[in-house]
Amino acid sequence: MAVAEDKISRKKARSSYFSTIVSISLVLFMLGLVALIVLNAKKLSDYAKENIMVSIFLKDNVKPVEVIKMQKTLDASAFVKSTQYIDKEEAKRIYEEAIGNDFEILGYSPLPASIDIHLYAEYAHPDSIAWIEKELRANPKVKEVDLDYKKNLIVKVHKNTEKIGVVLLGFSGLLFIIAIALINNSIRLTIYSKRFLIRSMQLVGATQGFIRRPFVWVGTLHGLFGALIAIALLVATIYLMQEQIPEFRNMLDLELFAALFVIVIALGVLISWICTFFAVRKYLKIKTDQLYY
Amino acid sequence: MENNAIIHLEKTNIFHEKNLVLSDVEFSIKRGEFAYLIGKTGSGKTSLLRTLYADMDMKEAHGNVVDFDLNKIRNKKIPYLRRKLGIVFQDFQLLTDRTVNDNLLFVMKATGWKDKKKIKTRIETVLESVGMGTKGYRMPHELSGGEQQRAAIARALVNEPEIILADEPTGNLDPETSEGIMRLLFEISKNGTAVLMATHNHPLIQKFPARILKCEEGKLVEVNSQPSPAIV
Repeated sequence: MAVAEDKISRKKARSSYFSTIVSISLVLFMLGLVALIVLNAKKLSDYAKENIMVSIFLKDNVKPVEVIKMQKTLDASAFVKSTQYIDKEEAKRIYEEAIGNDFEILGYSPLPASIDIHLYAEYAHPDSIAWIEKELRANPKVKEVDLDYKKNLIVKVHKNTEKIGVVLLGFSGLLFIIAIALINNSIRLTIYSKRFLIRSMQLVGATQGFIRRPFVWVGTLHGLFGALIAIALLVATIYLMQEQIPEFRNMLDLELFAALFVIVIALGVLISWICTFFAVRKYLKIKTDQLYY
Repeated sequence: MENNAIIHLEKTNIFHEKNLVLSDVEFSIKRGEFAYLIGKTGSGKTSLLRTLYADMDMKEAHGNVVDFDLNKIRNKKIPYLRRKLGIVFQDFQLLTDRTVNDNLLFVMKATGWKDKKKIKTRIETVLESVGMGTKGYRMPHELSGGEQQRAAIARALVNEPEIILADEPTGNLDPETSEGIMRLLFEISKNGTAVLMATHNHPLIQKFPARILKCEEGKLVEVNSQPSPAIV
């Protein structure tokens, strides 16, 4: 019978640990998920920005050699991510494919050769676009720079990503505070339930450090376990997402995930450590008579 | 202060949450002395004992306990005072989350015991001395009140303290076991450890006569000057 009772009391103790770990891990999982969204939102906005194409149309008398030279110069400049040369024939083919008409009536193709430029995300900014356009127009071989309606698009994309960024940042800040508050709360409850134990330890002559050490060690360990569970959940989420959304696979960045996981572990351990330390400290300092309420 | 006094209080006022419980307390206890502390419930026995182990407001406590100045003791030093006392608490104060053995082990580790073999032998010895030799692996909640009381006494003995402060150590025991505990405490005091024991148990005092201090109407008075049998 004694053994059975013993088992029950151990089970009880374990279940209280279990709920602490679960609450830590769920909070960290939420935090990690938001961090994942924030980090990918940057990638997503970069992706949108870099998808905006600037075309420069070339004058008809420009020789292919000169075009190749020009393309190379463009490729070497800081704001260009990639370029694609479309000669007159190619332009005609694309047009015919899209419209279904050809230029037989005219007897020649009026479409000029062009170079399509994809900009880096950092340069897809209304301010930088202005000087990029100026620079491109300055080239005597350039007939036209197709930017007018794209300028609006760039401004719009820029404004929207900025707004979304602010909202996400505010949201994740709020969630961070909630995370600390929740973890702190569940740890304080655990320690509160042991306040008489702490008092007994003090009464038999144990120093504050000696009493605190095992509590803080166990608390920190719970933080670590919670963080590991949170990471497992995050990995599962990422796996499911890339199963469901194939585009997501392009954005997978192992280094980013590694950094995220390290941060989750650090947060779990640090928050639990600090919260346990102060929760135990409270009951080490409190007077005996105040323990009862 | 007398040289061989292990406790010496003078002009001490004891408060319990701002109520004056005992005023102008003055007494000494010598090494190896046995003394009873009697008085009605609520007369301040426990408060007096708590003052001796610095679990009360110490502003108006004047005197020494095992060479610690009660009035000047800093919070950091309190654990070191308590280590020199063997305290048997009214409510046992056993650590409820571990076995009796581990309760003793906690105290020993907290006070710097390192050698595992010595720790094991010492635990066996003290548990044997209180008749708990076979129950060390039990959790406190599996023990009867009397057994918990004896475990608490064993814990108080483990560091061979200079004085034992016992708050109603026979309060939960049947007469036979009570006598056993009393014999044990007298035995201990004969070996040079002082004992100050708060109790209601008058038959027991008659059976084991010793010096009596009484808490009465806010004062501490000496009832008889009968010397402790431990000294005779």
